[in-house]
Amino acid sequence: MLFQAILIVFALFAIAKTSKMYKQQKVSVYWFMVWTFFWLVVITVSIWPTTTDIVAGWVGVEKGADLLSYSAIVVLFYAMYRVMAGQERQNKELTDLVRKIAIMEAKKPGSRGENK
Amino acid sequence: MRIVAVIPAYNEENRVHAAVADVARFVDAVIVIDDGSSDNTVSEAEKAGAYVLIHPVNRGQGAAIQTGTDYALDVLDADIIVHFDADGQMSGEDIKSIIQPIIEGSADVVLGSRFLGLKSNMPFGRLITNRLSWLFTLLVSGIKVTDAHNGFRAFGRHAAEEIRITLNRMAHASEILDQIKVRKLRYVERPVSIKYSSETLAKGQSFFNGFTVLKDYFKAKFLG
Repeated sequence: MLFQAILIVFALFAIAKTSKMYKQQKVSVYWFMVWTFFWLVVITVSIWPTTTDIVAGWVGVEKGADLLSYSAIVVLFYAMYRVMAGQERQNKELTDLVRKIAIMEAKKPGSRGENK
Repeated sequence: MRIVAVIPAYNEENRVHAAVADVARFVDAVIVIDDGSSDNTVSEAEKAGAYVLIHPVNRGQGAAIQTGTDYALDVLDADIIVHFDADGQMSGEDIKSIIQPIIEGSADVVLGSRFLGLKSNMPFGRLITNRLSWLFTLLVSGIKVTDAHNGFRAFGRHAAEEIRITLNRMAHASEILDQIKVRKLRYVERPVSIKYSSETLAKGQSFFNGFTVLKDYFKAKFLG
């Protein structure tokens, strides 16, 4: 019971925080909706834990708690993939930028002229 | 034919001058790409008469080679590009034989090899790593070469334009072989001599670096 209460309070806090960030235009409307939906689901499951058993039945998993665990693992792996892909893209962009600077500011041989 | 040497350098103030002077005898221009060194590599390369391109932050050998290649193709209008190391392990004398197949028109890419007759004092640990990378290249890239990770190479202009190095660090050597195969470029190997010293061995690739190369290679395959 205590755990459920803590979860609900935390979810409400997260919704309030996301909402504030959206008002300050720090997150897009897309992310505001995604996060709000996610925390609303958390609140629903906290109040009525058996709802997960119904969804679990639809997808062929025995218990709702198991379904949550499996889903969390899949979501976390996907999130990690997205973070790594983003990091890789930023790495490439940084290399492109460094390359442009290096070529723009190339130092040509001085009085010696070109090597022969 | 305009021949340009591309030399990536990272903290090579003691060796880069000699390397540039050695190479300059056999090419029309030398480009040194300083990859974010904290020592006097830039001034030493300038003194030696090279074009010097500076990476403000370290991006790795593969990235440095691609920077030099872009400059050689777009600014210096190179017909042949030679990859060479700044650490003094390679010999400029070998450039003549390594560019010959491109001049003759019999190859697009020439890869240097330490296992085709010329003497090399390669340490045993390095030899094992090299043989494993040879096997890996054969299995993954399907390209059969005697020396998979030799940094001494020559490219005709067409090949240099076709190959685009995207792996910043040491895995670029495998990527180059991949692209040779994918783009159906004609390649041959030529013997080159590599002299190892305790100083260059301390700075160079270890057996465990091999795992980093594998990690970078597969990461790029999965993350695109």
